Amino acid sequence: MIPAKAIQAGRAFALLAALFLFAFGIAVVLLALDQQRVVDATSRLQDQTVPEIIRFQRLARNLEQLRQEGERIFAVSSQTSRQQSMFVVTLIASHPSILEHPGAARLARETEQFLGDVVRQAGTDDRRPATRYDEWQRIAARLGMQVDDVSVQGINLANTDLNVATTAMRLARYKLMTALVLVGVFLIVFMVLVRRHLIYPLQRINQVLSTLSADRPAPEFAPATMLEIRAVEDSVREHHALLIQNDETRQVLEKLANKDGLTGLMNRRHFMQSAEVELQRAQRYRRPVTVAMADLDLFKKLNDTYGHAAGDAMLRAFADLVRDTLRQSDFVCRYGGEEFAFLFPEIGPAETEKLAERLRARCDAMEVPLPDGRLVKATVSIGLADASECPIEIALKRADEALYEAKRLGRNRVVLSSPAVPEIDGEPDTLTGNLF
Amino acid sequence: MSRAALLLLLWCAIPASLGGGVLAADRPALRVLVLENAPPMSFRDEFGKLTGFSVEVARAVCSEMRVNCAFDVVTQSALIPTISQGKADIAAVGLLETPERRAKMLFAKPYYRSISLWLARPGVVPGQAGVRVAAVVGSVQEAYGRKQGWEMNPVTTHGELAEPLISGQAQAVLVPMISALNLQKTAAFRKLGLATTVINAAELSGEAAFGISPFRPELQKEINAALDRIKRNGTYDRINSRFLPFRVS
Repeated sequence: MIPAKAIQAGRAFALLAALFLFAFGIAVVLLALDQQRVVDATSRLQDQTVPEIIRFQRLARNLEQLRQEGERIFAVSSQTSRQQSMFVVTLIASHPSILEHPGAARLARETEQFLGDVVRQAGTDDRRPATRYDEWQRIAARLGMQVDDVSVQGINLANTDLNVATTAMRLARYKLMTALVLVGVFLIVFMVLVRRHLIYPLQRINQVLSTLSADRPAPEFAPATMLEIRAVEDSVREHHALLIQNDETRQVLEKLANKDGLTGLMNRRHFMQSAEVELQRAQRYRRPVTVAMADLDLFKKLNDTYGHAAGDAMLRAFADLVRDTLRQSDFVCRYGGEEFAFLFPEIGPAETEKLAERLRARCDAMEVPLPDGRLVKATVSIGLADASECPIEIALKRADEALYEAKRLGRNRVVLSSPAVPEIDGEPDTLTGNLF
Repeated sequence: MSRAALLLLLWCAIPASLGGGVLAADRPALRVLVLENAPPMSFRDEFGKLTGFSVEVARAVCSEMRVNCAFDVVTQSALIPTISQGKADIAAVGLLETPERRAKMLFAKPYYRSISLWLARPGVVPGQAGVRVAAVVGSVQEAYGRKQGWEMNPVTTHGELAEPLISGQAQAVLVPMISALNLQKTAAFRKLGLATTVINAAELSGEAAFGISPFRPELQKEINAALDRIKRNGTYDRINSRFLPFRVS
């Protein structure tokens, strides 16, 4: 019944929550790290890479300027203009922005030398430049390509930062998904555990409590994992045991309350309740019903002669005799002292008289042994009355009168009360009755 | 309808006027030193307004910093003493960073890169005996020439550099590249038929930056950030194209 291992629900769920927080915390930290990498990459892009890209664009612009100045040297006719352009070419080719890029520096130096030659030659012979224009075209084409290369190189500088950011974002996406799955799994596990170990046992307890009764067997519980649930289940079992105990006590008390202690017959209160109910039933269905009062004859004398113990023995013996003689359905109680009251359902006075007569005869024949070996005897006087048409009190009063009549007639006999005189005939009416 | 329009105008005007007021009231104008006769870096245009590459970069920086700037004209020789004594906040002149200068003032991030040129008749080489070299007083070129033991012919402004060569007082001139560009523009100078030689000395080429008063160190960071912004947002390149034939940064 009791499983080997039981855990406290609070501790178990706290442990689960701590585990979850730990795992989720790690996921959050990892995500934050990725986010930081993205932030770093973008700020590096903005603060370092973009200025660097702009630097490449300026370099490209200077190379393009170099090409334009070269074109101008070939295009213009004035030597002064050529020299001015040549001066700018010299400056550009010597400028640090060009010198720091090896490819551009080489090409610029070559361009400067070529154009310098051209300008010098033009100083002596104005037609010379035209002859070298094809050569210049090749250099100009290389300058153009160098411009393209430098531009693309500059733009590509952003790739590293963008790749870092993209990788970090992708990683972050996987981690986020993992974290979400983690949350989902933990929630499911949590719900399953709560359901299995808390909700289901509580539902079972509720069901058991709603049908818990002393009439039913003790509730059975499957072994619970949680200590708290187990405590409640134990309480339910204890409660059931208490219910049974209370019911037994109640039954005992009820019997004690309804029975006469000495004879084991009904007591007067219980008889009056039961007889009342039976009488009403009989009268409703117009069934015959008869009541009787009996009294052990000369009982006081028996007590005085043999002692109270003998009297009690006599009362017990008479009660046994009554139980033995009467039908199962008859009501009988110790009415008080040595007096007994009866109610006989379903039979009228005539049949009751036979029954009573048998009782009287058997009592008359009975000898009751006392502890000291002596035998005592007692007779009984019985008064009967029809109860089919009057309240129980009236019927019993008539039976008592008949009993009194039996005593008066010499005891040890059965007397049937004379047919009932209508109740409405009171004392004055007796005279009227006599008149008819 | 017209009342609503008026309210809208007021609504728009309040923050603008407030902002402007705060700007003017909160931050006193920065005193910015510029050279006057040094085209195309710093000169007066036909309307007498100061302009040029350095001046316009300084204006753009001031506008990025959201401060008002008051321009003061000085000579090259007076420039460094003025800034080092804290009589001005910014020297909007392309200064090469030398150890002597670093001891006297702070430098912003460089805004262009320069080289120095030796302009002389073909055959006249640096260090040749009997050659007088023209240079601007207080410039690194003058300091370099003196250090080399050359005979120097100092002038006050960049605009006066052509004078000694044309008059024959000097046989060569040692100048920053942008001044040389300007010299080449005058017909009289071109007539001299000078040859150009790049002087590859460490102290004569490299990055040129604005000077900052040693008493205003907090300005350095702000000026650098403003320079970064104008270099990114295109303002700087537009100024470059306006005054110079190629990219100088």
